[in-house]
Formats: sequence, C-alpha cells, structure tokens
Amino acid sequence: MKLKYSAFTRRAFLNGLFGGGLAALGATFIGPIARFVFPPFREPDEVKLPAADYKDLGPTEAKNFAWGNKPGLLKKAADGSLQAFVLVCTHLDCNITYKPDLKKFYCACHEGWYDEDGKNVAGPPPSPLRKLGIGVEGDMIVIKKQG
Amino acid sequence: MNKLVTWLNDRLGLSVFNSFLTKKEVPQHKHTIFYYTGSSILLFLGIQVVTGIMLALYYTPTLQAANASVVRIMTEIPLGWIIRSIHSWSASLMIAAVILHLLGIAFTKGYRKPRELTWMTGVLLLGIALGFGFTGYLLPWDNLSLAATKVGTDIPKAIPVIGAWATKLLRGGEDVTGDTITRFFIAHVCLLPLVIFFILGIHIFLVQRHGMSLPLEAERKGVKVPSLPFWPNFVLRETGVWLILLGCLITLAIVIAPSLGASADLMAPAPAGIKPEWYFIFLFQALKLVPSRIFGINGEQIAVLLMLAGFLVVFVLPFIDNRPSERKGRIITFVFSLAFIFTLVMTAWGLL
Repeated sequence: MKLKYSAFTRRAFLNGLFGGGLAALGATFIGPIARFVFPPFREPDEVKLPAADYKDLGPTEAKNFAWGNKPGLLKKAADGSLQAFVLVCTHLDCNITYKPDLKKFYCACHEGWYDEDGKNVAGPPPSPLRKLGIGVEGDMIVIKKQG
Repeated sequence: MNKLVTWLNDRLGLSVFNSFLTKKEVPQHKHTIFYYTGSSILLFLGIQVVTGIMLALYYTPTLQAANASVVRIMTEIPLGWIIRSIHSWSASLMIAAVILHLLGIAFTKGYRKPRELTWMTGVLLLGIALGFGFTGYLLPWDNLSLAATKVGTDIPKAIPVIGAWATKLLRGGEDVTGDTITRFFIAHVCLLPLVIFFILGIHIFLVQRHGMSLPLEAERKGVKVPSLPFWPNFVLRETGVWLILLGCLITLAIVIAPSLGASADLMAPAPAGIKPEWYFIFLFQALKLVPSRIFGINGEQIAVLLMLAGFLVVFVLPFIDNRPSERKGRIITFVFSLAFIFTLVMTAWGLL
C-alpha cells in the first residue's frame, strides 16, 4: 500500500527499516572484531646493552642484538663512532647479514646489497636500512628509536 | 536392503540424483583429456583432507613446539614421515592439476557464456589452493619457511591504503612471530577449508547445471559431438586415471621426502639460496628482477600491482573475451599465450 504523496510503499519502508537496522547492528560488530584481530604493536622504545661487551669492538667487527622481534647490529662507523642498524631488508622484510670483509650488508632473499653506512647500493631494496639512535647511560649503551 | 533404499528415497528424494547421473553425458573430442583434470583435483583434495587431519593429531602450532612436533611426526610416529610426504606432494600435484584444469579451459575458451561464474569460482579456488600452499609452508617452522613467510606477508604492503593492514592481519602484528604460526594454522585447517568447500560446492553445482562445454568450433558449426555416458563409462576411465595418479603420488612421496631444517630463529639471517614452492617461483623471480625504482616510483609496488591486475584480468576473463570465435578472441588467446610463456620462462629461470 502506498499513501498519496509518499515516496515509498509501506512494505518498502518497513523492509528498509528492518533491513537497515539489522545491517547497522551487524556493522557495530566489525570494530570490536577488528580490534581483537589486530594485536597491539610491540616494538621496544629502547634496548640497553652492557657497554663493556662492545667497548673493544674492532673497526671490522660487528655484534648482533635483539631489537624486539627483529635482529639488530652494532658496529663501528668509518669515523670510529658506534652505529646501530635494524638488520631487516627494506625490500621484503628478510633478515640480512653484515659481511665485515666486504663492508656491506647482504640480503639472501632477492640479492640486495647495502654499503657500510646502510645505504641501498644494489639489487631491489628501495631505501636505506633503518638506523637506531645510540646513547650512553652509566655503563650501559642505550639503543633508541630514531626520528 | 531394497526396503531400506525405498525408505530413504521416500524421505531424501535421492532418485533426483540417480536420474541425473544416468542422463549425464561427457562429450568425446580431442580435448576430452582436460575433463579428467577436475576429478584429479578432487582426488588430491580428498587425500589432503585425510592426511591433513592425521598430521593435525600431532602438530603443535606454537613458536616453541612447531618444529619439534614435525620432527616427532617424521621420526617417532609410525609412518609419520610418509604421511607428511604424501601431504606435501599431494599439495603440489593438486596445484599442478588446478593449473592444468585452468589452462585447458582457458585455451578451449570453455568459460564462454553461460559458464562465466563457473570460471570465476574456479579462479577463486586456484587462489584458495595457493593460500593453502602458502599457509602450510610456514607450519614446519624452519628458517626457509620463516624467510618465505616474511617475504610473502610483506608483499601486500605494496598495495596502497589497505596493504599495511593486510600484512598486519596476516602476521598477527608487525613481525612474523609465534602468533603468525597460530594464525596460519587456523587459516590452514579451519578458515580455508570452510571457504574452499563452500566455493567448490557452487563450482561443482554450476558444472552439473551447465554440463560439459563443447569445443568452440563444434558449437559454432552446430556439429553433433559424440558423447559417453558419465555413469558408468566415464567414471570407469576416471578411476583408471585416479589409480595411476595415486601410484605416482605414493612413489614420489616415498622416493623424495620433503626436508625439514632446524627450528627457525627470528634473529638469524635468511638462508642463502632460498626459494619458494615452485608455484610461487615466477613471482619470486620477477620480484628479484624488478629494479628498486622505475621512473621514480617504487619498483616493488609496480610489480605487485601488476600481478594483482593480472589476477583480476584472469578472474573476469569471460567478460573480456566475450566474442571468442572472432578476431578479438584470437588476440586474447595470443596475449594469454605470451603471459603463459612469460610465467614458464620466469619459473625455469628461478629454478636454475
């Protein structure tokens, strides 16, 4: 039945009301489900390492540490200062290695290369390695997020 | 016995299926061999279900125990190694059969009206089969499967807007961790099986509803194609094919068992010479060759978007190739052949 001057029939109006109401109810579940499915981000704010372990690091040596779930690497730069990198390829997230003899980082997945400063120099990597900030607190080296 | 059959039939109405089966016919022509690929897929799928349930009795989807539980299956459980080997080989052979099935239909243009939806559900089933392969590859949790999963779950990141969320959804966080194993396991044994049987149901229903497609030429000229009754003549031939395939599968599974490396270390570098399963190698090789920048745009992003576009084109192919016996149809066959040759070359190159 359709009233004069009405845009809808009564049936269409009721269908829209009930259908729309159910759809709206369904939509309210999406948010909570999505929140449950995406866990919170767990990257550390900082990592502390005993400075004594890294004091005698030679110019061609490097030491690994854990940056949350990712591998990190601490090494001496050309000017003798300490540098910290996240050892993860910027191409497709593979863990990479530092090759001290070549002074280069290498990714075995798709043959990507970075120079000793973490700059992408060959292969598919689109950007330089992620660097971490370094500070000293007492006898600890503190590695922090940078930027 | 007869009484029981009548009793059941009165309640279930099974005679509908019976009369359908006796009427179903399979056309006989030079491409008939492709009709066998469909039932071969079903054979391998059935084997996957049975061996998959068996493996799940002992597999433990956690960071600490995943690799060790596969070691236990391989070394302690009676016949465990062969069950795992059959599961692994049957997966490969199933995907090979799916690809053959798809190629056969593509080159005979069996997707033309009214079978567009049959094709589209089929392409979705290929996607799901690859999803099974991808999620299953992580479960043994050695350094090879970790690296492959890191790469595979990072690929969606290149898709604008939703990419980063998709990666997070797949991994259960920013990184591949123990949560990823659990997530992949649930996808592999619960989510994907539900989806595959739903879509497979539609697919098989559509195949029965429209019957087998005839060769394009014969249909156009209205030639009468000879046919074979499905029951029992064609089923007998299919059973023969099944037995041969089963023999090949078990031989392969015994002679070449899949390897298992040491438990994956989240801090270890990717092992040298990593390669994905053969059906992802063309993608792997293409990603290796793409330069980091193409005209100032991220090369990986372009490659991933091209792959996605390729999949979409294949998905809607029946609508693009809507005049199959005309010039347009021949051009499409030519382009499709080029794409196929590209995939073959990339796969061969990646395998070397």
